[in-house]
Amino acid sequence: MAEIYVIVGTGAAGMAAAERIRLYKKDATVIMMSIDEHSHSRCMLHKFLGGERTEEELSFVEPDFFEKNEIHWGKAQKALGLDIQNKRIQMENGYQPYDKLLIATGSVFGIPPINHFRTASNVYGFRDLSDAQKIDAAVKAKNAKHVFIVGSGLVGLDVATGLMERGVKVTIAEMAPRVMPLQTDDIAAKAYQERFEAHGARFLLGIGASDSIINDQNEITAVVLSTGETVACDFVICAAGVRPNIAWLEGSGLETERGIKVDGHMRTSAPDVYAAGDVTALAGVWPNAMDMGRVAASNMCGVDTEYTDRYCMKNTSNFFGLQMLTIGDINAQVEGADIYVKESRNCYKKAIVKDGVLKSVLIQGDISHTGHWQYLIKNEINLSEILKRKEIFDITYGDFFETDDIGEYQYKN
Amino acid sequence: MKRIMIDPSKCDGCKNCALACMDSHRMDGGDGVVTLNFTLPETEARNEILNDGKGGYLPMFCRHCSVPGCANSCMSGALKKDMETGHVMYDEKRCGACFMCVMNCPYGIPKPSADGTKILKCDFCNERPEGPACVAACPKQAIWVEEV
Amino acid sequence: MNQCYGCETCKSADKPLENFIAGLPMETSHHRVKGQSVKCGFGLKGVCCRLCSNGPCRITPSAPRGICGATADVIVTRNFLRAVACGSGCYIHIVEKTAWNLKNTALNHGEIKGHKALAALVEEFGIDASLDEHAQALAVAEKVLNDLYKPVWEEMELVEKMAYAPRYKKWKELGILPGGSKAEVFDGVVKCSTNLSSDPVDMLMTCLRLGISTGLYGLTLTNLLNDVMLGEPAIRMAPVGLNVINPEYINIMITGHQHSLFTHIQKRLADEDVIAKAKAVGAKGFKLVGCTCVGQDLQLRGVHYTDIFDGHAGNNYTSEAVLATGAIDAVLSEFNCTLPGIEPICDELKIKQICLDLVAKKANAESVEYAYEKREAQTEVIIDKIIEAYKERRKVVPMKLQPEHGNQNTLTGVSEVSLKEFLGGQWKPLIDLIVSGKIKGVAGVVGCSNLTAGGHDVLTVELTKELIKRDIIVLSAGCSSGGLENCGLMTPEAAELAGDSLKEVCKTLGIAPVLNFGPCLAIGRLEMVATALAKEIGIDIPQLPLVLSAPQWLEEQALADGCFGLALGLPLHLGQQPFIAGSELVVNVLTEGLKEMTGGQVLVEIDPVKAADQMEEIILERRKGLNI
Repeated sequence: MAEIYVIVGTGAAGMAAAERIRLYKKDATVIMMSIDEHSHSRCMLHKFLGGERTEEELSFVEPDFFEKNEIHWGKAQKALGLDIQNKRIQMENGYQPYDKLLIATGSVFGIPPINHFRTASNVYGFRDLSDAQKIDAAVKAKNAKHVFIVGSGLVGLDVATGLMERGVKVTIAEMAPRVMPLQTDDIAAKAYQERFEAHGARFLLGIGASDSIINDQNEITAVVLSTGETVACDFVICAAGVRPNIAWLEGSGLETERGIKVDGHMRTSAPDVYAAGDVTALAGVWPNAMDMGRVAASNMCGVDTEYTDRYCMKNTSNFFGLQMLTIGDINAQVEGADIYVKESRNCYKKAIVKDGVLKSVLIQGDISHTGHWQYLIKNEINLSEILKRKEIFDITYGDFFETDDIGEYQYKN
Repeated sequence: MKRIMIDPSKCDGCKNCALACMDSHRMDGGDGVVTLNFTLPETEARNEILNDGKGGYLPMFCRHCSVPGCANSCMSGALKKDMETGHVMYDEKRCGACFMCVMNCPYGIPKPSADGTKILKCDFCNERPEGPACVAACPKQAIWVEEV
Repeated sequence: MNQCYGCETCKSADKPLENFIAGLPMETSHHRVKGQSVKCGFGLKGVCCRLCSNGPCRITPSAPRGICGATADVIVTRNFLRAVACGSGCYIHIVEKTAWNLKNTALNHGEIKGHKALAALVEEFGIDASLDEHAQALAVAEKVLNDLYKPVWEEMELVEKMAYAPRYKKWKELGILPGGSKAEVFDGVVKCSTNLSSDPVDMLMTCLRLGISTGLYGLTLTNLLNDVMLGEPAIRMAPVGLNVINPEYINIMITGHQHSLFTHIQKRLADEDVIAKAKAVGAKGFKLVGCTCVGQDLQLRGVHYTDIFDGHAGNNYTSEAVLATGAIDAVLSEFNCTLPGIEPICDELKIKQICLDLVAKKANAESVEYAYEKREAQTEVIIDKIIEAYKERRKVVPMKLQPEHGNQNTLTGVSEVSLKEFLGGQWKPLIDLIVSGKIKGVAGVVGCSNLTAGGHDVLTVELTKELIKRDIIVLSAGCSSGGLENCGLMTPEAAELAGDSLKEVCKTLGIAPVLNFGPCLAIGRLEMVATALAKEIGIDIPQLPLVLSAPQWLEEQALADGCFGLALGLPLHLGQQPFIAGSELVVNVLTEGLKEMTGGQVLVEIDPVKAADQMEEIILERRKGLNI
């Protein structure tokens, strides 16, 4: 009988894993199960919300992915529990036995403990397509004019642009004193803030919600700020952080901390059970989730592979025609570091270098050909010699140019 | 797969390759470098020539890597390594302009288009039978196609 | 994000200028260097030929000849001759117009300011000294013009009179005595056209002919004719840099090489009624702000018109910064270097552009083609237009003055006459210093400013510092002077940067280690000094412990200049090769072969220390040859 490979979750990690398993195992039975109705790229949810794409157009695989790869997909069902002893997973539709299991259930959005937030009927997240669909319905149902968003990180700004695209006004509350606080410094943040404000958004920086007012349909009609101001709104969106989706594993005996504990081969504490993606809490960025999925899948298929490139403090953003790339902690207070800045009317660049090693970089404006920065930072390449003859921002891959015998690029030592 | 091989010592920085690339990807229906508009931002090449700092040149061409950092980070499925040709192909219509590929190519090859709605990356001239236009245009044979 | 136009501007030896430009909200040439930094190798090496419709052809290992059969040597030499011919044409245009201005001044009994200069020319040309001054001036001008208009097969008369005898003899041997200057340019251009000459050595010799014509007429004579009309240079301390721009006046930036076109304007701007016009619109008067070589010329003769000229603001690649101060109300241009890039800047800052010579027409400049007989009426029109511009722009354009930029005590006004006078009327003191070794040798650091040899004036300044460290005194002329003086190297304090021996000499004499001869035209003056020294010692120029450098040569004129230096037998250092590297023959002839012919040689070296080492070595060799 063919081996049964089961994957729970059809996000980045799950899909990358599925493709990899099918590549190695032509004859195995591959079953995927997820809460999704449509497999979708959550990095593009705002395009659905803004009306630019349909549900189908959010897919990041070909339309015939499941048929082509002979994968059975049990869609639209929650994961309920894991029976490690008997090697079966409990889904809404019943138990599914496995020979090898990959848990890629991602994360869930958190709702801050503000009065009524966790109980009201009109508080949403923006993690899944289902969240976006709920918001879409809410906008239509209420003919929404004004939405209150908690958090100005990438998710908050994504949902904001989606709503602004439909003419909905947004007020965004952010505890930090600047927008997108993890990826910007004050100057870069200002550039985005100005663009959002020019399109009608309102930011409350360094301000949090402290209370809310509900009506008798259990709907929040206004949010009260820590300043005392009351902001009326049609509904609230929480974009203030996510946590790994592991609640359903309670009682299963699977070892978890913040997320599911895995080793360098993505193996969990249970035999033949692997985990990849956000659910491991190792990284919250799409490329790493895909990598973890591929590594887990390889190991599930007996191909010994380690998850080594774990660097995840990296991000790109693209709002209102302004692009930005940030690698590392651009606000780190690094003692003895050299900070380089270049600024003009259409670009802002900042780099933090300590003892010749680049710690972090921010490029706002033209981000062409900036792929080498991630390599230099995560591999802690010493740039002292190069910096003697070149300014930091003039460094390119060209300074490490080397090809191997089959013409692939590599970094010269 | 077929790959464009590079010998930087032969490159003279004439940028014939860039012009050929621009010409083979132009959207205005024209043909021939002579009719290219060199001042339009849309007329942009997918390759680049850098100075090597020692009077020589470094041709920067997409390698269609065996482990493609760009495709491995694509959140829209726009970038995919074609299993048959081995080339990393780009579907502009799927692209969500997130630019994670720009961030993830260790060699800094892809770049956003001038209008920020897509990226520019080598597509091996869409597998045209005569081969990539840049290779045909190089007067020094600094680039050529090899089966690797 | 701030108001700066861009993130990338090139370096400058002048750090305050670099910072000022980096912070500007408008684009300048300094912003455009990075975008143009990957140069086509074929163009760089001179092996791209566009002379016919079968082209453009490029030399590669698989295609070592153009379609017509031209080798790399032929293509490179044709390109080089074309540049030298054009460059020569530029200088000959200048001397032609200057000679006409002198002629017209003489015919109209206009003012003669340089009596000594006139007398010297009269003596040199063998003109009857008993004639009255205007007749003398007329004769001088006509001799020059007659020469310029001779056919190519007729040797110019003044060449033998002006050239140093041993050099003349050498040139005659080599068959490179030039015919009429304009005809030489004409023939030079014809020779390098499609499928004409394919003899690289002959074309290189033609370059030398053009060099001699350029050097004696364009470089040497232009200065002397200008001295007659505008007064002789006088050594003085002068302010330089952007600080000379005084917003209380109506400021006119001048660009070009033809000082004699400004003779009347200079006078008029100091007249009571014109000052009154300025006062009526709220200004104290008019000022000419020096920029490019004509500014250096004004600086050279500055003692004659201190009321309308406060100083030289900077060289060609400083011109955009000069305009960006906001205090320039008009630009009067008549030649290079008037960058095309100043057009959008003038538009944005509402600066009136007027062009006095159509050869340097800016797209948005009003043309007032200078004509001697119309000069009075033209000047009035120009003044009135500038007043209008002043009125309009001062209300709306903000100032970005740079009162700290530059310095107040740059030594200027050095010429072949004023320097000799300074030394007590004879060259002996200088010769003694060289013979004794207190001054190891002389280096002419001349020519243009460019942005790519390390940055704006970077190589020029670094090389000069290296040379004076080695006790080699530096004479400078051209935009390189503009860069050196703004960096303080022509102040007496700069002696601190010199080697101990040169430092002592400078302190004793009260001079800077770098002497300012003025415009690039004054390279001819420098060469007159070299000739005078050689004559006095009794040797030929190639034996002098003298080297020439045009470290950041820019345009074709510089190449024609350079050919004169090579004809004189001088070692000529260049920071960047002049698009000849693609031809082994040309490189060999210019770097080695010429030594046998004229004694000259080209050295290409972009590193200032290495260049200074090479130049010092040559100087030491020559000292040995003279047993000193």
